[in-house]
This record gives sequence, structure tokens and C-alpha cells, in this order.
Amino acid sequence: MKTCLIVALLTIAVPALAADQTSATTALTAADQSEALAGSLGNRWIPAEAALKAARAALAKQDWDTTLTEATRAKALADRAVEQAREQKTLWRDAVIR
Amino acid sequence: MSLRRVSRRLAIAALIFSALGGAAPAPADGLATAAADQKAFQAFFKDRFPNLPVAEFGNGPYAVNAEMRKQWEDIMQFPPYDFALDEGKTAFETPFANGKSYADCFANGGIGVRQTYPTFDTKTGEVVTLDLAINRCRIANGEKPLPYQTGMMASITAYMAETSRDKPFDIKIPDDPRAIAAYEAGKEYFYTRRGQLNFACASCHVTSAGQRMRGDILAPAMGILAAFPIYRSDWGSMGTIDRRFTSCSSQMRSEPLPPQDPAYRNVEYFLSFMSNGVPITGPGTRP
Repeated sequence: MKTCLIVALLTIAVPALAADQTSATTALTAADQSEALAGSLGNRWIPAEAALKAARAALAKQDWDTTLTEATRAKALADRAVEQAREQKTLWRDAVIR
Repeated sequence: MSLRRVSRRLAIAALIFSALGGAAPAPADGLATAAADQKAFQAFFKDRFPNLPVAEFGNGPYAVNAEMRKQWEDIMQFPPYDFALDEGKTAFETPFANGKSYADCFANGGIGVRQTYPTFDTKTGEVVTLDLAINRCRIANGEKPLPYQTGMMASITAYMAETSRDKPFDIKIPDDPRAIAAYEAGKEYFYTRRGQLNFACASCHVTSAGQRMRGDILAPAMGILAAFPIYRSDWGSMGTIDRRFTSCSSQMRSEPLPPQDPAYRNVEYFLSFMSNGVPITGPGTRP
């Protein structure tokens, strides 16, 4: 009985968690925008670029789950790069030898 | 006029003065700042390595680590850059198709001039590195530019550096706001943390200079470019300053800039100016 209940719950839950084309492309667009912003600040991170590349490759294969995962990762990295670049606009002065 | 009105006008005047002064420092102020930066920079390294003569700073890790120096002295029995040096000398002395040569593009025929590069070109308003000058010379004489990171560019700069050995860096910043802006941009790049590892150039070559980073000894920033181009065992070939900058960027997990990007040229300008007085040791060899 318990096993049947778990199987039934998984049957309902797994499709609900799976990405679709819309969520994948939305995530990729958001990641692209964040990475473009990091680029405009002269601070693109290699892992963010790699994740974006992986997301685009997955999109081309219509693998929405991988696209969503990689795009989310790329956006998180790109957002950190933007934050770093903005902080460093003034913080670098503290490191200058005086 | 009331006291309140006078004080308000004074406050407005002070704000305008401050805004103007903060936005664009006068060239004379910029030159004074650069000179003060250089003095503090060199004092820092002389204090960090009190027994090291200035002339030794161009030897990078071998100047600050006795074990590595011994290995280096053994390696220098047969310097690994010798083939590149020969190739560079031949290329330098071989005329272009139009009959002219590299010697026609440089002061003193290109002999013993490495220590004056990068220069600031007041006509174009930009920093010109030796590598860029070599390619501009080629283009002006109808030749194709060379790739910047290795190969023949490294060989030619190796030969030119060798003719400048023991000549101290002599980098000038002209009294030109664009030159000061380039210097300041180079300084900002050098001290700015970037990449996933959150490192600045200064993190390794100032803060941790002389210490180990895994198997490497980190070279002090003062004189760090004096040995270029270098034969690096890790690369198994010669490499230029561009190759070093792009690989440093990658190691910080930061997307490298294209070779000779203005940002890289500016940081080379800054670092070379900071190293004025350190003799050229290039071409060099590194682990």
C-alpha cells in the first residue's frame, strides 16, 4: 500500500518538475542578459560562458531540463560577476600600494 | 549680502570646484600621482625583499627563491630560448619584400630600445607596446601582421630584448591627459579583482609575491615584465606578454581579452612604469 502511494506521488510529481520549452528559453534569455551585462562591465567569467554554451547546446537538442539547469547556473554565475564588477569599481582603490 | 547667502555661494562654489577636480585631474596632478605611485610601489618591494638588489627583480621567482635559482642556473647552461633568439635575429635582419626592414621603423634601428616600451603615442593617443609596433611596422611595409602570443612575434621580441639587456626600464608618461588616463586605467586593471576566483593581478604579484602558489613561486610585480618574452616549461614554447596576460586571466576563471586589447596594453604600461630602473633581462625562462 505504502509503495503504491509513493509510486503514485512520483507519477504526479515528476512531470510537474520537468522543464518545458517556455521555461527553458525564458531561463536562457535571462542568463544571456546577465552575461551581456557582465560583458559590458568587462568581467565575463569562464564558467558562466561554459554554462551558457551547454545551455544553448541542450536547447538545440530540445533537452529542456538540461537547458533550464545550465541556464540557471549561467545566470547565477553571471549575476555574481556583475556584482563583483560593481563592487570593484571603487574597492580596487583600497588595494593600491601607498 | 547676508552671511547666510555668502556661505551658500561658497558652498556651491566648493561643490563645483570639487566636481571639476574629481572628474578630470589636471595632467600635472596626474603625473605627480604616477610618480608617487611609483615611489610607493618600489619602496614596498624593497621593504618586502630588503636584501634583493633592484637589478635582481627582473629575474622574477629566481630572485626570491634559492632552490629555484639553482635550477635556473643549471637550465641557463643551455638556455631554452636560444633557438627563438636565433630565429628572431634572422627575421629582424631579413628585409621585407619592399626592401625595407624592422630597423627602419624603430629608433636606433631597433637595437637596444626594448626598455623604452610601451610608449605613449601622443599622435594617436594610445599605448604602443613593442609587439604592436612590430606589427604596425610590418603592415606599413606591406607584410601580414604576426600572431601576438607565440611563434615569430616571440622570437623577434626575444632578439630585440636581448639587445637591451641590462638597460633599465625607462618608461615615460607624457604631460597629456590621455596618457595619464591610460596609466590610471592600467593601474585600475592591475588592482581590480575579477573572475570566479576573485583574484586581481595584485593578489598574486603584490600580496603574495615570493610565496608559493601550488608548485610555483609568485614573482614580484616590480620588474615582472623585464624578462619577456619567456620560454616557459609549462608551455613548452616561447610566449609573449600577451600570452602571459591571457593565461593569467584564464587561471582566474576570467574570460581573457584579445591580445593587445587596450586594457592589456594599459596594464603593461602601468607595470613597466612601476618598474623603471629595473634592467631588462629578456628573453627569459620560467618554470
